[in-house]
Amino acid sequence: MKKHAFVRIAGLLLAAGCASAQQDFNMRITEGMPAVSFALPPFVSSAAAKTEAAEIYSVLEADIKYTRIFELLPKSYYGYIRPLLDPNNPDFKEWESIQTNVLFAARIEDDPAGGFVFAWVLYDVKSKRPIIAPRRYQYKDKNLRYLAHATADEIMKAYGEKPIFTSKIAFVSNRDKNEELYLMDYDGANQIRLLYNQVNDSNPAWDPEGKRLAYSSWQNLAVGVYILDVFEKARTRVPVSLKGQNYTPAWSPDGKKLAFASSMSGNHEIYVADIEANPTRVGRIKQLTFNPGIDIAPSWSPNGREIVFTSDRGGTTQIYIMDAEGGNTRRISFGANHHDAPAWSPNGDKIVYVARVDNVFDLYLYNIRSGQISKLTEIYARNESPAWSPDGRHILFTSNVSGSSQIHTIDVDGRNLRKLTSQGENKLADWSN
Amino acid sequence: MRKISMLALVCLLAVSLGVSCKAKTKPTPPPSPQAQEQPVVEQVKEAVPAESAPLSEEELFLKKTLDEINKERVLKMVRFDYDKYYIRDEAKLTLEDNAAWLKKFTTAKILIEGHCDERGTEEYNLALGEKRAKSTMEYLLSLGIPAERMRIISYGKSQPLDMAHDETAWANNRRAQFLVIEK
Repeated sequence: MKKHAFVRIAGLLLAAGCASAQQDFNMRITEGMPAVSFALPPFVSSAAAKTEAAEIYSVLEADIKYTRIFELLPKSYYGYIRPLLDPNNPDFKEWESIQTNVLFAARIEDDPAGGFVFAWVLYDVKSKRPIIAPRRYQYKDKNLRYLAHATADEIMKAYGEKPIFTSKIAFVSNRDKNEELYLMDYDGANQIRLLYNQVNDSNPAWDPEGKRLAYSSWQNLAVGVYILDVFEKARTRVPVSLKGQNYTPAWSPDGKKLAFASSMSGNHEIYVADIEANPTRVGRIKQLTFNPGIDIAPSWSPNGREIVFTSDRGGTTQIYIMDAEGGNTRRISFGANHHDAPAWSPNGDKIVYVARVDNVFDLYLYNIRSGQISKLTEIYARNESPAWSPDGRHILFTSNVSGSSQIHTIDVDGRNLRKLTSQGENKLADWSN
Repeated sequence: MRKISMLALVCLLAVSLGVSCKAKTKPTPPPSPQAQEQPVVEQVKEAVPAESAPLSEEELFLKKTLDEINKERVLKMVRFDYDKYYIRDEAKLTLEDNAAWLKKFTTAKILIEGHCDERGTEEYNLALGEKRAKSTMEYLLSLGIPAERMRIISYGKSQPLDMAHDETAWANNRRAQFLVIEK
């Protein structure tokens, strides 16, 4: 395990050494980072648990594939060796002979107490030792997809990665007529409607703990920013700002502040509200920008010291960074094009935003250290409203490449494009930690 | 209606005649049940006020529901230049008409909705739509419509009128439109 981690870090250092441009950047991910060969043989299971075994297997397989940290061993390889019968006692020599680095060995059996037990171990084949000691998940009526995602999360954690598989994506859909907030799993499964209002709700933003959503609501013929306790039974809704029109909320990384755009003083400026937790309460609201242009769409740096946002103060719509207390404002995007919707990466090294060039919207990555800008999407469509995955490897965005506006993800190297929605029009997605 | 009441009258007359001179008109057919159910007096009662005092425009307005008023689209929408929110010359004329209507129906309150075309981004368009609604409101203010009768809201680009993706559609979608919310 240590060895793999070292190889990956070496890959990153190599990339940091590369001075310039998009091409080097692409090289890093695709060639500079060796994928770990991951064996996922069929689970040992009782006849009664076959269906469950198949479902958990397929979800876990998709999760592992999505990481691109691991490379799944081709299934045909399993035919070259004897099948795994005892997950607690694999023949490591055989697994090594088919070039396995990591082996996921699992068994699903009937639980005498009712339901099933999903027992698994993750081995490092070379050292013949478990990377993750044997785990036993008992389940009765549990969501099998969740069980598989939780397993994938444990694997990610063992590799020092931030887990993403049990995270939730909030988004806006008009599938039931008015624009409303919805939730889904990271892979687009389990899409559910969150609110039932007659008016629009939009701009969802997760708090750092993934429990509360800040959002804009067109309640009472005005646009207010509210906070909603998503998983609480009572689901209290707390108004943050109802004066003027209020949009695009964004939580500070410590969850104690909420930045948003408001026209409460007549013109669109960025404000920050102090937010207390348990119960949610709104404290002082401070104005950060003061100019006659439009200031909107704030996003915090992961250390909480700066805020990136959109402004047309200079005549064209551009991306600016300012201190989290306001002031020290500098522009990071250039040209006559229209720029918007910046989102700061969780690692702090990049900002993704949308720019329109010749009527095509694409996502661009701004590298903080080098100041270089590279194009992320090359899809001839309208690609908008980016948001990061918690591990900073994927970017969630809206694209109309399929003909209607839908939620997609793409990796930071521009590969691994995935469409998550198809019902109605969907947009403005945000990924929980 | 009038025909029916005439018929009823004739029948009644015939009946009364029949009563007065039994001998002459022996085979008089009985009045139809329909005719019997139509009392002449009531018909007259209904007809009178409608003819003598028609509803004023104000009364007509107050009789309608908000939905009916909004369906008539008496307040015409105004269009904007790309990425701009100033009031164009032809829009000023439209707003003068709208102001005249608002001065006639002084109890009406309106919501001004700002909309954008799809060439702006989702987030920026929320603000731009609001600016369009606001400059529309300010122009109506300058024409003497009190601020407390107007509210503004932005829908960004989320509610296009024209779903096409060309210049005509975009020009159509860059608009401020009106909703009567109180009367």
